[in-house]
Amino acid sequence: MEAAIETRRLSKAFGGRRAVDNVSITVPRGAFLSIFGPNGAGKTTLLRILSTLARATGGTARLMGIDLKEEPDRARDHIGLISHNSMLYPDLTAEENLMIYARLYGVENPRERVDDLLEAVELKHRRLDVVRTFSRGMTQRLSIARALIHDPDVVFLDEPYSGLDPHAMDIFDELIASVRADHTFVMVSHDLQKGFDMCTHALVLAKGRVVAFDQKENLDFGDFRSLYRQTVGMGVA
Amino acid sequence: MADRKQPRLPEAGQWPDRLVPAALGVGALLAVAGFLMAFLFAPPVNGASVNGVEVIGGQVVSNVLLLSQKIFYFHMPVAIVSFVALAFACYYSVRFLMTKNRRFDTCARIAMEVSLLFVVCTMITGDLWTRFEWGVWWTWDPRLTTYLILMLIIIAYFILRNAIDEPERRSVYAAVVSIVAFIDVPICFMVTRVIPSSIHPVVVREGGMSADMGITLAVCMVGLMLLGFALYRTRFRQVRLTERVEALKEQLEDRMSDVR
Amino acid sequence: MAEEARKAPAAPHADAGGDGRVDGASGRAGATGRAPAAGAAGTRQPVRLKKPSTWQQYKTLLGKDLTQEFRTKEMLTSMGIYALLVLVVYGATLAQSGGQVDILQMSGGLLWTLIVFTSLLGLNRSFSHEKEQGCLEGILLVPLDRSVVFLAKATSNLLFLLAVEVIAIPLFCFFFMTSVPLAESAPLALAPLVVGAVGVAGIGTLLSTITVNTRGKDVMLAVLFIPLVFPLLYACVSATTVVVVGVEGYLDAFVPAMALAAGYDVVMLLASWVLYDFVVSA
Repeated sequence: MEAAIETRRLSKAFGGRRAVDNVSITVPRGAFLSIFGPNGAGKTTLLRILSTLARATGGTARLMGIDLKEEPDRARDHIGLISHNSMLYPDLTAEENLMIYARLYGVENPRERVDDLLEAVELKHRRLDVVRTFSRGMTQRLSIARALIHDPDVVFLDEPYSGLDPHAMDIFDELIASVRADHTFVMVSHDLQKGFDMCTHALVLAKGRVVAFDQKENLDFGDFRSLYRQTVGMGVA
Repeated sequence: MADRKQPRLPEAGQWPDRLVPAALGVGALLAVAGFLMAFLFAPPVNGASVNGVEVIGGQVVSNVLLLSQKIFYFHMPVAIVSFVALAFACYYSVRFLMTKNRRFDTCARIAMEVSLLFVVCTMITGDLWTRFEWGVWWTWDPRLTTYLILMLIIIAYFILRNAIDEPERRSVYAAVVSIVAFIDVPICFMVTRVIPSSIHPVVVREGGMSADMGITLAVCMVGLMLLGFALYRTRFRQVRLTERVEALKEQLEDRMSDVR
Repeated sequence: MAEEARKAPAAPHADAGGDGRVDGASGRAGATGRAPAAGAAGTRQPVRLKKPSTWQQYKTLLGKDLTQEFRTKEMLTSMGIYALLVLVVYGATLAQSGGQVDILQMSGGLLWTLIVFTSLLGLNRSFSHEKEQGCLEGILLVPLDRSVVFLAKATSNLLFLLAVEVIAIPLFCFFFMTSVPLAESAPLALAPLVVGAVGVAGIGTLLSTITVNTRGKDVMLAVLFIPLVFPLLYACVSATTVVVVGVEGYLDAFVPAMALAAGYDVVMLLASWVLYDFVVSA
């Protein structure tokens, strides 16, 4: 069985700068990968390459066995992205927003799928309301529904907690936990503790390079934190 | 860490750079020679002629024999060099979009800079000429209009580059704009040429040149082309060296932090 | 694993539109078997994807823009009011010019000034929605051809522009042209108005995609847009003016001007269409 994500010497360079530099990782299906690193370490760039929003300049990346460079469109059917931006149109209703994405992806029976998802994220009673009137937490929940509309295999989380209050965070975690079993997750977060708790695999980047990549069983949080501190120091230098 | 291949440094100073001094010398020589020939060798000609006698900008203009025509030997080659530079910028932009190699972006940008320089020269010489030949500082003549638009587009290109922070996005957008500009300019010329503006009389220029004029023009043209090339290469070398220094600095910083 | 079994059939029909129909039938059968209150979002009921046609995706994207506009009426009101204000400014600037002939000669130019500046306002707005919540990225994550995004956006911009023209031109005539005898050929002015709007929407969509990511985007759009659209503007003003004035033999000027304007549209739309992928993915 192919791994969910497999990169070989993945790089992204422009001019002399290398945002991502020779990253080779293998993430099995069903894993939860947390990516750590200081600002400018290339976390977001790596996430963007893996979610087909940016193109690598060197190396290969395969997602569910599909080469991202060769067949990005085929890979996109397997990719969901939840970011700190909701990617929802504020002047459309919750239902309309989901319907747009369902239609674009070509989900069969879109209305049914949208109803199911709205129920799952507990927004069914607000489905006819304009997204602009939603709280940050509700918007983020709807954004989860949006990302899962085509039932992707790999879900990317780009700083999903920014702007959420603790209560909304808990609801968010619950929702993620409920879909956790069948999906592979990749998360970029500044919250070291949270990221470490949730993950099965941890990746530390600095200057685009892999500093550490391992399963969580092999890591101790204390050691991990000191390693992370060191890395952050590297980034500052 | 050992197997990590060194990032390639931006290189500079390939073989075309060796041609620069020669090109600069010959170009300057030919340009001066052409300048002298324009006055000493080429016969004086009728300036732009107007159908009968017309009033342009409050002055009566008719067929006149003017020394100001001499500027033509300078004006036209400069204009052509500027357009050639724009064509190169477009070519490099296409190459850039195909390869995403930053080198081509640098090439395109510098070709644009050269183009801007020559367009400004064209505007100045063209304007002097209009002033003395037609007695007006400005008319919406096809050539003048086209070059004004061209100048504005090139300026917009540089303003755009300044307004974007991410290097890759900047390069892509700049490449797209320079390609669109290259397509736009000929259309602009055609439009202003075919559709006469109703206010100004149509100025007819006499076609055909005598052999003497042709030779003088050719000498100027070759000279200015070589000057344009020399400018381009010199500037390119400078920019590439700057990029190289930046890359080296970064590498050094990397090493330092690795050692620690 | 169940997971593998699901994606194995799903993958091939995700990219082959023709086969999709066969699988689609079974997909529907599977869907009816689904419990209506499927618990969590991730309960792995098969969600079947059938690659929608480009036309369907285009309709969805265009429909989204129009629904948004119908709800907020943001673009139309701001563009409409701006157009009205420009007309008021014209009122002041033209107060001292008495002659009817002057107005007739200048009407084409004045009208196009109005259109260019109003469209600048609309184009600036057209991508701010997409950028606000990162929606454009959401759309780029969908497997669809990037030129569909361009065509949908250009179409919605064109529709808004035409809507504003429909409001502004009668107002223009009402304020300035009532005392002037219009030439018989005046209705022909519709042609340059439509052709011009197409070109403005096309190149404007490309440029506003670029400028939405720049600092000082409002000014930046004008700086790029006005020189690039100059040839079209020149041709359209000329075509509009000759038919409004209706001089003898106006077709001799009208036809080449329209041909050039149409040529500009075709060339620029093709260029924008080809280049859009690079712009939107950068």
